[in-house]
Amino acid sequence: MTALLEVKGLAVSYGAVPAVDGVSLEILPGELRVILGANGAGKTTIIKTLFGLLRPRAGEIRFNGEIDLLRLKPHQIHMLGVAWVPEGRQLWNTLTVMDNLRLGGFAVDDKALLERRIEEMFERFPRLRERHDQVAGSLSGGEQQMVAIARALVSAPKLLLMDEPSLGLAPLMVRDVFSLVREINSMGIAILMVEQNARQALKVAHWAYLLETGRIVESGLAAEIGNKESVQAVFLGGHA
Amino acid sequence: MELLLQQLANGLVIGSTYAVVAIGFALAFTVLRVINFAHPDIFMVGMFAGLLPATQWPALGFGIALLAGAIGACLVGFALERTVIAPLRGRDVLMTLIGTLGVAIALQNGMALIAGPDPVAYPALLPRLFIDIGPVALTLRQIVNFVICLGLLGLVSLYVRRTSYGRATRAIAERPDVAAAFGVNVSRICQFTILLASAMAGVAAVSVGMLYGSASAFVGLLYGLKAFICMLVAGNRYFEGVMVVGLAIGVIEALVTGYLSSSLRDAAAFFVLIGVLYFRPNGLFGSYAT
Repeated sequence: MTALLEVKGLAVSYGAVPAVDGVSLEILPGELRVILGANGAGKTTIIKTLFGLLRPRAGEIRFNGEIDLLRLKPHQIHMLGVAWVPEGRQLWNTLTVMDNLRLGGFAVDDKALLERRIEEMFERFPRLRERHDQVAGSLSGGEQQMVAIARALVSAPKLLLMDEPSLGLAPLMVRDVFSLVREINSMGIAILMVEQNARQALKVAHWAYLLETGRIVESGLAAEIGNKESVQAVFLGGHA
Repeated sequence: MELLLQQLANGLVIGSTYAVVAIGFALAFTVLRVINFAHPDIFMVGMFAGLLPATQWPALGFGIALLAGAIGACLVGFALERTVIAPLRGRDVLMTLIGTLGVAIALQNGMALIAGPDPVAYPALLPRLFIDIGPVALTLRQIVNFVICLGLLGLVSLYVRRTSYGRATRAIAERPDVAAAFGVNVSRICQFTILLASAMAGVAAVSVGMLYGSASAFVGLLYGLKAFICMLVAGNRYFEGVMVVGLAIGVIEALVTGYLSSSLRDAAAFFVLIGVLYFRPNGLFGSYAT
């Protein structure tokens, strides 16, 4: 099967400082893969580079086997069917929930279709219907995460890039977010997630990469990688 | 009491013009992170662009002059965006500041070369007519200027709140990267924003030229300074805030003229600026972090 997304030898630097150094990974259609890594390991840098927001020093990024993402601008990458749940949500805080969702579907030409999809999001997240007229900045952290996820889903993406969706949420909310991630994936949307919460992430993912200071040091089936000593030491609080 | 009401009315008329120029500044700064120092001179070019049909073919009337002002200003805005702003956008804010300042100087002196350095008479496009509204007497031209400017402000407000492009404009203002990642063509919206700001300035400029009966190659300076102050006082978070401050500065100036001294008028805006920034450095209505 052709990989939906294929990254080869990706290297990104901020000035002279390398942030990502020779990362290769791939994700097949419908898969859920996770990149585990601590703060500063380069997780967000990878996501931003995939979206054309950062220019890599070296490497290749291909979508659907043939499309070279490095030649495209962010909005063109989005039109291929890639959506983003950014780190820390990054909603448009001065805009209403409704406007955030409409902007999530900015590239959807059929406005009736977009309204239907927003309606579906309101069915799924009734809280957002109640608050559709409020500015996003006034919502609680959990509600904001719902908006961020709904905003990404209204474009009906093929691939969803999720950057630490559990960050800064209450423990109960964290469980909800991970079960939501699994549910979204079961609708056939491929997900590439970066996370620090290894325990939860490995429960939902099919495949995991372990990122340390810009390099992938381990990769394997999520069900097996949790047993590896390196992963245990860094993320699961064993043997440290 | 009559003086107060009269000065309030005069102040709203001139303030509405400040607001239109200020909103052009604010759009460029908020959406593109560009301090467009050429904006006041795009206003000036609009004034002369409207002057052309107004003197050559006066029978065509006021509407054509407004249209010509919009088109003239738009053409300059388009050229400015292509040659200076787009290539420098995303670099240090000083680069575009200096670039647009250079264009401003070129426009001023270029126009002074064509039209002469002294003010030229602006044709009376509308009859000289006084209209009494209760105790307040306004000229027809004042009223028309106010209605035009308020109309432009209303249109911008509708645009940014109710249209898909307008929402994208506000989205870029707050988070350009996220907007791009959700399918917004940032360069295209930036270009459109400059064109919109220029067209508005051009229309307002023709109306102001008619209101005062004169046009000058250096008229942009005064409006530019006032409009810039309006944006700083309001902060760039809400376009409507910039509009309100524009109107307020006009009113304050009129009150200073009426009750203190007309020679203090142009200083009033600076006192407001100092006072507001001392207590609220991000402006009255707040600013986006940059």
